[in-house]
Amino acid sequence: MTSELAVSARGLVKYFGDRRVVDGVDIAVPKGLVYGVLGPNGAGKTTTLRMLLGIIEPDQGQRSMLGYSHPRDASDLVGYLPEERGLYPNMKCREAIAFMGALRGLPWATGRKRADALMDNAGLGHAKDEKIRKLSKGMAQLVQLLGSVVHEPDLLVLDEPFSGLDPVNQEKLEKLIRAERDRGATILFSTHVMAHAERLCDHLSIIAGGKVRFEGTVNQARAMLPMKAHYTPHHNVEGAASLLPADAFREGDGWRFTLPESGIEALLVKLIDGGYGVSGLSIERPGLHDAFVRIVGADALKDEEEAA
Amino acid sequence: MSKFARMLRQAFTVARRDFTATVFTPTFLLFLLAPVLMIGFGAVGGIGAQSIVGDDSQMKMVVIAPPAQAPVLIETDQQLRTLFPKKSELAPPPLTIEAPTADPAAQARAYFDSDKFDAAAVLYGPLDKPEILYARRGWTEAQYLTQLAEQSLRAQKLGKAEPIATVTQTVVQRGQGSPTGRGQAASIGVFAIFFLTLFLSGQAVGTMAEERSNKVIEILAAAVPLESVFFGKLIGMFGAAVLFVLFWATVLINATRLLPPEVAGSFPSLIAAIGAPTYAFLFIAYFTMSYMLLGATFLSIGALTSTQRELQMLSLPITIFQMMMFGLALAAANRPGNWVETVAQIFPFSSPFTMIGLAGSSPVLWPHLLALAWQALWVAIIITVGARLFRRGVLKSGSPKRRSKIEATT
Repeated sequence: MTSELAVSARGLVKYFGDRRVVDGVDIAVPKGLVYGVLGPNGAGKTTTLRMLLGIIEPDQGQRSMLGYSHPRDASDLVGYLPEERGLYPNMKCREAIAFMGALRGLPWATGRKRADALMDNAGLGHAKDEKIRKLSKGMAQLVQLLGSVVHEPDLLVLDEPFSGLDPVNQEKLEKLIRAERDRGATILFSTHVMAHAERLCDHLSIIAGGKVRFEGTVNQARAMLPMKAHYTPHHNVEGAASLLPADAFREGDGWRFTLPESGIEALLVKLIDGGYGVSGLSIERPGLHDAFVRIVGADALKDEEEAA
Repeated sequence: MSKFARMLRQAFTVARRDFTATVFTPTFLLFLLAPVLMIGFGAVGGIGAQSIVGDDSQMKMVVIAPPAQAPVLIETDQQLRTLFPKKSELAPPPLTIEAPTADPAAQARAYFDSDKFDAAAVLYGPLDKPEILYARRGWTEAQYLTQLAEQSLRAQKLGKAEPIATVTQTVVQRGQGSPTGRGQAASIGVFAIFFLTLFLSGQAVGTMAEERSNKVIEILAAAVPLESVFFGKLIGMFGAAVLFVLFWATVLINATRLLPPEVAGSFPSLIAAIGAPTYAFLFIAYFTMSYMLLGATFLSIGALTSTQRELQMLSLPITIFQMMMFGLALAAANRPGNWVETVAQIFPFSSPFTMIGLAGSSPVLWPHLLALAWQALWVAIIITVGARLFRRGVLKSGSPKRRSKIEATT
């Protein structure tokens, strides 16, 4: 591995019983980027992250983190928000954040000071001395996230960080992730909700069935699908279909179809010459959602709809 | 920072959290005062039991003698009672002197049917040939009345009851500890460590339950090696146990100052063969090891349970296991030089009990250094094995080697 990678894994395999839940996953997370691990429920995202962090050992494969061959050796440089949130309910917020920092080598006193500042910035200043059990689920989740960044880690691993948060807190979390990236941290997070990944990720992997199905940038993922066009004729809407590509279908007062490989110009000339005119035309790049569905399959769409 | 230093730092972070979470709660006050409740319930039980068995304050000894003999009998009784500590249970019941009737034998028997007091023993007849009747539990009182008659007769012949010899008594402290004192030091050490461990180490069994129920274990496992988590939790609980011991040791030390001198004076005979300061150090060291060994075992077993019910079911086998270790240590103490003693010294869980017994009875130091190192090694082994079992059983982290074997065979 090179020092430009924050996380590197090759051929990770994990069995639970006889089930091969992770099946030869390769991941290379460049430093300083926001990297998303996307996949439907049960794809093996969490297990992969847990192996990368050294919480569980892979049955096969190698991984390294921040230049250390065993993730445990880099633990002081890493922040982690697990999928199943966990805090001591009787701890005060400030102490909980300082404790999580202390586990990663941050002195308690420094941890408390930073906890105060972080909570003020996150709009939780009023809850510094509140016990965790008195917080709402969303607030507790934010406190836990602050605990995972209090020691200013080089790598922040977030497992499904947006689940269970309302839109306001989701916005706060996105802001915090961007702030961490701007600070210079690498962020590796898993999700099965494409909107967050699309807004945040510089780079991503799509995992399904324990295998990596795609690895690249968001744009590369979207480029796997052809662009779509939405055309609204000026006259004779139904008649225009005869000149459009075969996959055209009605949408609103116009037609949606895949952009021909030859481009839109030749088609537009034909439509104008045919007397249909142009009332409206938009060319859209497919979203990550479409790319994800294409890569993972129709089952993933069902999972995502359920989650939404 | 070296790997070991980092592991220690992480363990102490976990310990600090656990210690404060345990100590700064109202429940800890209840835990701290549990012995008061225990003593209170014991006292209530004792009073109840005493009322069932009968009250000794109704017990009396009776001497049927002419009024002329009463002064010498009273004076002799007072002399004889100096043999017993004041308010001691060993002291005989009060003495009553009654004038004889026409039939002293019938008079004596009648006292055993009295509804005013319980006659333990009754003496009648001349002092040189007295007859003594005693109830089933009155043999000691009968012996006392025999001596009373003997000494009263001698006093009568000498013309006074006071002692003839002029005796000077001086309290001397034994330098090396008597065989009895050594034995007592050994036994008290074994008992004290056993009871402290019995009361305190069993609590370690449920300490991982909190992390498992509120999912904090995932945070800990990602940040800290599980060995550090286990060790840290053990230290945290041990800290609470030490606080408990210090509190009660302070109470007891101050309470002994209020004891009567004759009771307090018996303590110097507990001087151990190895010397008081070394014995005190070894007591602390063996208590620590005993707690760590049993605590680490219970913590590891408790961490593997998945429900509160399973955890509760463990309390009985834990107590039985501790009793077995205690029994082994006592058997070793009663068979010095026997193979049982060697086994008990080597078997890690009985080793601390047995070795504190040895410190009480033998002045040799080196076996203790060896034993402490051996016990510390076992603490490390148990924590390591416990953490691995937890990682495999609870965190579902299998062994790559084992998986390779499975694949090779299929």
